[in-house]
This record gives sequence, structure tokens and C-alpha cells, in this order.
Amino acid sequence: MKAIVYSCPYIPAEWIAAHGLRPSRTMPGTVGATGPLAIVEGLCPYVHSFINEVMAEKAACGVIVTTLCDQMRRAFDVLTRRCDLPAFLVNVPHTWQTIAAQKMYVDELKRLGQFLIRLGGKPPSDQTLAEVMFAYDSARKSILEARSNLSARQYAETIAAFNRDGPSNMPNKKLSTQPINTGIPLAIIGGPMVKQDLDIFDIVEQSGGLIVLDATETGERGMCATFDRRGLRDEPLMELSRAYFGSIPDASRRPNSELYNWLKQKLADRAVRGIIFRRYLWCDTWHAELGRLKDWANLPVLDIDVGGDSRTHQVRTPNRIHAFLEMLQ
Amino acid sequence: MTDTPGQITLQRWDKHFQQLQRAGVPQPSYCGPLSRHVENGDTRLLKLRYDNSAAALRLWNFLLTEEDRLHKARGDGKKLVGTMKDLGTIPVMAYSFDNLVAFYPDGAWWIPCVMELNSSLLSIADKLGIDESFCPVRAMLGAFLTGAHFPIPELLVCSVGATCDDFSAIAQRLNGLGYAILWWEIPHRRTPEADEPAVKLPGGFSAAKSQVEFVKSELARIKTALEDLAGEHLDEKKLSAGIKKANQVRSLLAELRKIVFTAPLCPLPALEMLIAEMLAIHFCSDQKETIAVLQALLEEVKTRAKAGAGFLSVDAARIFWVNPVADLQVMNLLEECGGRICGTDYLFTHALDIIPQDLPPLEALSQMALADPMVGSSADRASRISADIKSFGAEALIISRIPGASHCALEGRVIGEIVRDKLGIPVVEIEVPPLTDSIQPTLRTRLEALVETVRERRKK
Amino acid sequence: MICAGIDAGSRTIKIVLMEADTLQVVAKGLTDQGVEQDKLTQKLFQRLLKSKGVKRKNVTRIVATGYGRNAVSIADTTITEITCHAVGVRHLVPNAVTIIDIGGEDSKLIHLDKSGKVRDFAMNDRCAAGTGRFLEVVARRLGVDIGSLGELAAKSRRPVPISSMCVVFAETEIIGLLASGTQREDIIAGVQAAIAARISALAGRNIDNPVVFTGGVALVSGMDTALQSALGHGVTISPDPQMTGALGAAILASNQLDEAGS
Repeated sequence: MKAIVYSCPYIPAEWIAAHGLRPSRTMPGTVGATGPLAIVEGLCPYVHSFINEVMAEKAACGVIVTTLCDQMRRAFDVLTRRCDLPAFLVNVPHTWQTIAAQKMYVDELKRLGQFLIRLGGKPPSDQTLAEVMFAYDSARKSILEARSNLSARQYAETIAAFNRDGPSNMPNKKLSTQPINTGIPLAIIGGPMVKQDLDIFDIVEQSGGLIVLDATETGERGMCATFDRRGLRDEPLMELSRAYFGSIPDASRRPNSELYNWLKQKLADRAVRGIIFRRYLWCDTWHAELGRLKDWANLPVLDIDVGGDSRTHQVRTPNRIHAFLEMLQ
Repeated sequence: MTDTPGQITLQRWDKHFQQLQRAGVPQPSYCGPLSRHVENGDTRLLKLRYDNSAAALRLWNFLLTEEDRLHKARGDGKKLVGTMKDLGTIPVMAYSFDNLVAFYPDGAWWIPCVMELNSSLLSIADKLGIDESFCPVRAMLGAFLTGAHFPIPELLVCSVGATCDDFSAIAQRLNGLGYAILWWEIPHRRTPEADEPAVKLPGGFSAAKSQVEFVKSELARIKTALEDLAGEHLDEKKLSAGIKKANQVRSLLAELRKIVFTAPLCPLPALEMLIAEMLAIHFCSDQKETIAVLQALLEEVKTRAKAGAGFLSVDAARIFWVNPVADLQVMNLLEECGGRICGTDYLFTHALDIIPQDLPPLEALSQMALADPMVGSSADRASRISADIKSFGAEALIISRIPGASHCALEGRVIGEIVRDKLGIPVVEIEVPPLTDSIQPTLRTRLEALVETVRERRKK
Repeated sequence: MICAGIDAGSRTIKIVLMEADTLQVVAKGLTDQGVEQDKLTQKLFQRLLKSKGVKRKNVTRIVATGYGRNAVSIADTTITEITCHAVGVRHLVPNAVTIIDIGGEDSKLIHLDKSGKVRDFAMNDRCAAGTGRFLEVVARRLGVDIGSLGELAAKSRRPVPISSMCVVFAETEIIGLLASGTQREDIIAGVQAAIAARISALAGRNIDNPVVFTGGVALVSGMDTALQSALGHGVTISPDPQMTGALGAAILASNQLDEAGS
């Protein structure tokens, strides 16, 4: 079955799956690689990689982009002009507190549904949707429960695999029974990671740390809330909206106070002693939060700016992490 | 009409001002020699070239005294609304009230240029973690923290959604520093689905009716906030009157633009046209005076056009300019290089279109807000630009990137491609930081090359 | 017992030999970096040993730091330059709280707590615009010695703002400025201000006094003034600013010996 490719955490995989199509939340391999679209100053390396990955995509029948950031919104313009893959732009509201914004999100999901139908999907009944949601929910729960049994990298990879392939590939047995490394507990905060970035988890462990909170878009922070069983049964689409739009905190929201509320709770729960703040060069949304996070967190914050060059990955990032852990030790 | 249209230095303007005074040419109370602004720190004014008409002097003095006006309004008991990002919509509502004054704190982006970086606003932004990788509008943060420029408004309103990332991030940083902001959503304007009711917007775009309804609900929310602030109810009659007043400004500008951009000899320089267009978005904190300033300017331009008088060479290359410049001097530079502005898109063309007066006023404003070219796709923006290029007879396009602005990375490429395909005219992208003194040779080369290209093409 | 600290930086290799017990510096030296870093390091090391009649076996602990630290074969362990500079500066300026290190290719800002431990840090190792490289580019373009930049900058009446974020394009700007008759002094002062502005952005809002300036660029006169102006805080130049990383590494080597002993 051909896939519907997307990257935004506010696109419910369940919705795509319920339409009978295969959702695949992509994680580009790297940033900065050459491709059909050249990198230009001011262009977010992640957006650049995403566009190039989509343009090289052979196994998908459609791509979904959202308005989560302006650069992605503009990426849609490029895709519609240069890529034959059918593309759809979902308007994810930045405001979240009003009923109108919440309604807009639901309406956008419905409009997305029309796009999925055009691609061969079938409109799901409430029951079908609820069943799919239940399957995803169960899989997400088991991943969250397995966190303490997995290394930080394994946990991140498991989430990425789940995002890419859904619950169908989840192993039946417990994910792992290996004892977990100890180290100085750290959080990693930021937007979406690429596969190459998972090396950060290893570098941290090799330096005496342990990432206990993956608050990146591709990590725990980007996972929706657990579904309420009654809501799931009675109004699955509204429940889907609540669990996604109503629960995933992000720097792009206005105001983005929920992000800090979520972080406050998680940082305390996991006894985090330091924060790795990972952002892309030219990502204004996250870059602007660095100063605020430093003022707010009362914890040491390490800034890792990723530009897509190999020197960053091979030299700068490891060096900064080593220095950070030295400091914390 | 001034004797011979021309451009003069600030020093010559001071002498010229004395002549105007002696000749008894009436000038409003805020007028005076421009050098007094230099003494207040606006040193960039020394490097600019100005149109030599009394109307232009009035325009400049009007612009440069806005801060005084805002402080006076506060002193007179008026409430100030800082409206951010939407560029043209909320002030129409705000000025429909008797005791509200609205302005754009975004306008602080020109302070580093005008004060030639002596204002420390950018270094304040640096210290907050908002460095030069962000748009120069980051100067706004420093303006809020120092309170040294505009008075801090009682209410801050900011549009988000289909807006640029850097402004949104900067506004959020401001919010994080303790400044309460009323956020409102402007959705990305999309092509209506085949089966959904659509609305034709002013300016030519279409939008789904549901999107118009959504924006209307957002504007209704803001209206309530403005009413609470003003202590006054804004009924449809009042808002319609406000729209009518705004349209008066827009009509004057439409006429001004048409004459200036299409006259055989350019009757008004690019810099004054840029300032004049900016009046559309919030009336420089005095709607009534904006009308008077534009009327005077229009009268001057009409007289010049009728007399066949202008100040550039008749073979000046006709350029359509996209995006406002962080350094005002670049407008002078274009003309020095042999170009003239024949058409613009300074990010707010929707604020130049007439707001429909045959619709319920909130509906009309909603349509206007959605008609913002920045709110839709770059392709949409390019199509409007192409239509305007044709209408004004421009021969080339300059896309002026704003350093750090999130929309510039990809948008220019799309607009350039579309305009080249549709119209076959040369397109050049340049980047204009707040001070261009040190990169003038680079800029000059590009502008001169473009002018040469245009002139060569005329020969074919 | 002698300890050694080796700072294998991007431009130069620095070595400090130190009495482990007294922390007295026995010898120090530097050499330019090159392709065969390890050979160059060992050569410098041997030279220093010979100059003071120290036998290799008496050097009981070697700590390497700097970007090239993992390629120093004679090192017993490696520690990042953040920690080493903090220790080195604090040894020389016991009350230092904020450290600014500007090297040839990178710059760092280090915040210390009351006990002298690193509390927080920020780095610019991506962009040459906040580093000594920018000054080298300017000096080359203006045909002056880098050592005379400060003297020239002091004569500036109106530092010219440099727009480019990138040193490559900034070089183009400088050419343009020269062509338009801008005074050398104003260009140099403008470049120093641009570097200082980058450091200020790195620093954020929280700078505590005293601020100590170290690294090779601290030797360029005028930079401390530019930093003071940008930060709004007084800035003291560290003694022996090029050697603070190696000094810190040597002190940490000594500490490691103490820990092993106890």
C-alpha cells in the first residue's frame, strides 16, 4: 500500500489509516545533503531536507504539509510547483484557546479526508475510526511504558518507527528487558530531529549523561495524549482533535505557554539536571525560545544549532556535549 | 507646485523651509526644519535625498513626529492600541472609535536605520537571544523595553497563523517578557474546494466562505476587546463610517500611485512614495491628518504631471519593487542608478485596495484581511504582482529580501519564476539590511546592471 | 612531579608544564598548528622538556584540550576547552565570573559560579564573524599587521557598521568601503564592534562581573574596549591569554593526580 508522507505531529496518523491509507511520518536521514532544491541562506535545513526527501519519494501517493511554520507553508508552494506527488496543505491554527480555532482544526481534518478520498481512501465510519484509534493508542501506551526499559536512543528510534509504520510493526513482546544506563539526567528540547541526530543520544551517554526526556517534535513531546475511552466511543473525531490539537504543546502555538507548563512538569518528574536545546539554523520559531528557556528553566541549557554541515555533526555537536557534561559533572 | 521638481539634501531643505515660511506657505504645527530630527538622533536623514515640494516636507514631518503624536494622544486621555503584523486591518476598526489611537510597533524596524544603529535597540534584541538571524523588526523588542520611542500601548493585538515566523517568534518573546498580547488567527488563504461556497475578495483572490466566516469571528473578538478598552460600543454604523474614512485614504493613495507609476516623467521620488504608501496601514496615528497630507501630495503630483514636470530622466527604467527596504537610502540609490518605481508590493497591497462598502462592515474587513497577499501562497502573490506589473507598465522586477525574514528564503524564487514565465521581464533579488553603506557597491552594481538590461531590451 | 596541559587549538598548539604540587609553571610554549598535529605536539613537548632539563618520565600526567585533543597521542586524558579555560583563567584571576574566550576560529562565553565551576556556557564555532578570523581578514585587506589594529581603531571617529553576517561577504564590504574612501580606522573599529556584538548576543542578558577576556584575540588591542562597549560591563584581559587553556589543562592534570593519590 502506498504511503501518505508527512512530518507534522498535528496530523493524526489514525485519520489517514482510518481512510484505508498508510500514514508515514517521515524522518529525513540528514540535513544539508544535495538534492533537487538547493540550499539558500535563510532556508531552514529541515525544511530543505523535507522538500528534497519528498521530491525523491517513490513509495508514496501523497504528501501532507501543514502551516505549523511559515517556512513549511512556503515549502508547500515549492512542492506544488516542482513535485508531481499530490500535495495537501493543512491549516493548523497557531491559536488554540478559542472554540473557533478548535473547530477550524476539525474542519481541516475533514477537508484532509476529502483529499485522502481523492487518493483512493474511503470515508471511515465512527466505528472504523475508533478501532484504528484504539490500536494506535495501545501501541503508544506500550511505547511510553517501555521507556524505562529502553536506552534513550532506542526509545527515540521506537517512536520514530511507530510514527513511520504505525502499530502494525510493534513487536508483540515487551520491547526490551535490558537494564538502562545511568548518567546525568538531561532533556533534549526542540523541533523535529533527523535520523542522523539520534547519534546525539549516544554521544550524551558516552559523555556521562542520559537523555531522560525527549521533548523534540519527533520524540515524546510530539505524541498525542491518551484517548479518553468514552470520547473514543462517542465522538472519535472530536476525541482525535482533543488528543492532538488540544494536547501536543509546541513553540509555534500562540501563546506557547502550554509548552512551558508541559516542560515544567516533565522536567520536574524526570529530575532533569540540564537541557540540550537543539535547533536549526534559520528556524526562528525555536531560536527565539532559547533566550526565554534560559531565563525560565533555572537549569543549564546547551545550545546546539544545526546547519547541515558535516563539521557540526562530527565535531561541534560532540564537543559541546562533552563540555556540557563536564560542566554538570 | 514647487519651482522645478527635484531632490535636495536635508541641509538644503532647512533653507528651503525658511523660504516657505517667508512665502507664507501654510504648514501644520508639527512641521519644521528636518534637522531638528537629526538633533534627536535620526542621523540617517543627513544621507537621504528629499523631494523639494512643501507637500513632501509635510509628509516627512508627519512621519517623523508620530512618536510625539502618540505621547500627546496618551496625554489627552486616548487609549493606545499596538496592532501587530496584520498591516492594515485592525486600525480601520480602532479608528472607528472616538478615543482610540492605533499604531504598528512593527514600525520600529526602521529605527535602527534612521538612527544609524545608535539606538541600541538591536543590541537589546541580541541580549534577549533575538540576534541578526531574525528580521530587523526585532528592534521592536528594544523599543518596548526601553520605552524610549513609542508609549507602551494599553492593548497589544497580534495576528498569527499565516504570518512570518520571525515576527511571530519576536512577538512571542515579547509576550514571554510579560507583555500581554491578544492573539488572533489569520488562516492561510487557500483555493476553495470544488464543492464549497467561495467568495471573491477585493484585489482579485478568492477564498472559501468558511475562511471569511472564521476571520469574521476573530475580528469580532478583537472588536469586543477594543470596545472594552474604549468603553464604547462599536455598532455597524460607526464601523461603516470608519471604513469609509479608511477608503478615503485608500482612494487618495490609489490615485497617487496611478499617476506616479504611469506618468511619462516621474513626478514623485520612490522614497516619498514608500512613506506615503505606509500611511495606509495605520494612518501614522492621525487619520484626519493623513488625508490632508495625501491630498496635498496628490495635488502636487497632479500639477507636476499636468505640466509634464518630473525629476528623473525620461528613459528611467520602470521597476516594480517587492518588499519594503530596511534602509530607506536604497530608494534614493535606485533612482541614482537610473531606475524609477512603477509599482510596488510592500507586503500590504490589501491595505491599498478599497474595502467593500456594500457589505456588512465586519464581513468587509474580514474579506480585506484575507485578501492580504502574504496570507496566501507565493504563487498568488506572484499573480497579483504580475497583474500590477502589466497595469503599471513596469519593465523589470526587484525582489528585495529582508535579512532574516522567514518568507524571503523561498518566496522570492517562486515569485521570480512566475513573473519571468508570465511576463518575460528581468528579475533581480537583492538583500537590504538596515544600513547599506558598506554594501553600496554591490547593490549599485545589481541595480545598474538591471537598468542597463532594461535599456538594452528596449532596443530589441 | 610535573603535569602537562596541551591545548591543541585550531590555529596553534600550546603546552604548559607545571609542578604538580605547587602549580608553578615550569615551561610553556606554542607552535603553529599543521597537518601532522601529533608530530608537532610531540616536537614542542620535547623542546620544552629539554629547555628545562625535565625528563619525560617525570611528567606524570598529561591532559589534552582543544579541538584537536583527541589526536594527541601522549595525553592521558582529554578535557574540553570550556572546562580548561575556566580553570586556567580562574587560576590567574581568582575572582573571574564571566569569561570571554575569542580564538582564531571560535569564541566562547563561560559563566562561573562562586566556587569557580562552570555554570553555563555558549559557543560560536560555526561562524567566523565572531572570531579572530575576521580580524585577520581585515588586517590582510587593509595591509596592516594584526597587532596594529587596536592602535588604528583607537583613532576612529565613526566606526562603520558592517552588515554581513558572513566574513566572506564582509570582506567584500570592506573592499567597497575602502573604494568609497572610508578611513581604515573606521573600518577596523567597525569590525571590532561587529565581533563584540556577536559576543554580546552569545552572552544574553546575564553577565556578572568581573568579566575576563582571554584567547589569542585578547592580545589585539582595542578588542577589550569594543567588548566593554557592547556588553556594558568592564572587561579585564587575562594575563597570558593565549595559554589559559593549556594552563587549565595542566592544573586539571594535577588535580587528577591528587585524586588518584587520595
